[in-house]
Amino acid sequence: MNNHDQQDNEEYYKIARGPWYQWVLWAVWLFLEIIFLQAAVASSKELEPRAAIVFWLLFGVFALGGITVWIIRRERLI
Amino acid sequence: MEDKGNKSLSRRDFLRIAGLSASSIAAGKLSSNSSPMTSVEVAKSHTAGNLRPWWVQTVDEPTTEINWDGMQRYDARMTARGQGFANYIGQAEADRLTEIANQVKKQRLDNNVPGYTLKDQAINAAQSAYTFGSRSFLGPQNVETPMERGVPSWTGTAEEAAQILRAAMRHFGAATVGFVELNKNTRKLIYSYDPDGKEIVFENVDEAYETDGKRVIPDKAKWVIVYTVQMSSESLKRAPTVIAEQTTRLAYGRALDIQIKTQEFIRGLGYQCLGEASSNSLGISPAFAVMVGLGELARHNRLITPEFGPMVRVFKMITDLRVQPDKPIDAGIMKFCKHCKKCAEACPASALSFDDEPSWDIQGDWNNSGHKAYFEDSIKCKTFQRENAATNCGICFAVCPFAKKNKVWIHDWVKTGIATFPFLDGVIRSMDDAFSYGAQKDPEKWWQLDLPEYGIDTEQTTNDE
Repeated sequence: MNNHDQQDNEEYYKIARGPWYQWVLWAVWLFLEIIFLQAAVASSKELEPRAAIVFWLLFGVFALGGITVWIIRRERLI
Repeated sequence: MEDKGNKSLSRRDFLRIAGLSASSIAAGKLSSNSSPMTSVEVAKSHTAGNLRPWWVQTVDEPTTEINWDGMQRYDARMTARGQGFANYIGQAEADRLTEIANQVKKQRLDNNVPGYTLKDQAINAAQSAYTFGSRSFLGPQNVETPMERGVPSWTGTAEEAAQILRAAMRHFGAATVGFVELNKNTRKLIYSYDPDGKEIVFENVDEAYETDGKRVIPDKAKWVIVYTVQMSSESLKRAPTVIAEQTTRLAYGRALDIQIKTQEFIRGLGYQCLGEASSNSLGISPAFAVMVGLGELARHNRLITPEFGPMVRVFKMITDLRVQPDKPIDAGIMKFCKHCKKCAEACPASALSFDDEPSWDIQGDWNNSGHKAYFEDSIKCKTFQRENAATNCGICFAVCPFAKKNKVWIHDWVKTGIATFPFLDGVIRSMDDAFSYGAQKDPEKWWQLDLPEYGIDTEQTTNDE
């Protein structure tokens, strides 16, 4: 096997490092999720059903949004 | 007075502060009247001797402007409460309205209207059955004094006196307790006449006494004890029904119990304690509460506290036990009321002010002049209570954005936002509507609730270390 053949068989992976602010955005997302979840659960304990529904909706929308973004970004990398 | 426990931080507080810090960073720099939170030591503070969040700041002057020179001692018979209502509309009209109220209650009882059913009216009536003891200016005077025990009276610093009084009264059931010294200004907040027509006078005597015509406060009794008693917000959010009204009656009953026990406790220490001879007597409750920093005066011309919003009743006593006075507070409540107006919008009697700014001009003789406030039309209020609600209403309390429980962390941050970012007040009011806070709840479902003792959260002002 000569050098040329060896180079043909090698695979190259390009490792893309995400920008620093990506982690800040994920931290903000996680923080908001925790807040919405706490508010949703605690609103039920406060006997405020409409507030609980609104917070559950916010939690769900943010969760779906975060998961969607994560999947899209993951597929772009593969 | 600072205690060691006040400087440590619980996990719950840490999470709250963590969220708050993040919110603050996101929102930009703090406004000039705010306290930047640089360390956990300032996470909680003692205002009015009560454990308070850092954003409740003590101030030298209350957020209600006062013109002491323009203020006179007020005659309690001039209020529109109770029998005083007849002074403004005439006895015949008052009797007619009372009869209407009774008929409305009876009709709603017959028709099984939720909130006015037999069980609702039965519990409301039961709340007026005070079994604890009889109310009086001088107190029961049954417990042994130090002299009778053969020992000297209790002695301690003013701070120690305030501390033990606060501990005792909280144990008796008070939510928050504050103290103010009676001087030439604050004496004007003591009624000139009690609702029963007895004159309240100050005399240079050793012991308080009472005659057929007057109640005498010794000059040396210079300290007013002011305390709040929580009402059940879950009950009051059924306003205006009798199931909502009963929590008010319960608060008055508990306050009487606290008064009697405090009078006897102070007697046991070797001092005098003078109480309310009848409901809402002795002095102007919200005014004293503002002076000791238990809360701020609000648009409905009542007290709003940082902890419980308007869901409290306020009471006071006078003692010759020297206690450390407290200062007024600024938690942004009065400023928020300028923009909010939710109580005024919700008031079915249109009795509350829509003015943007508080005024020096009173609405009628049922208001005391000398301070700048949103004065209410008590006649419209009381007439509605009799003609339509057949209860003491309380809608203005129920809809208030400060009438929140404390389980959701965001509530604390919203209160912080109100105190530090007044430009957010409009948004906060809109969010309060969007989340449907303040909406009237089903009176019938109250009977299925599993509420804690007295329907209140007794841990809101405790240090949860």
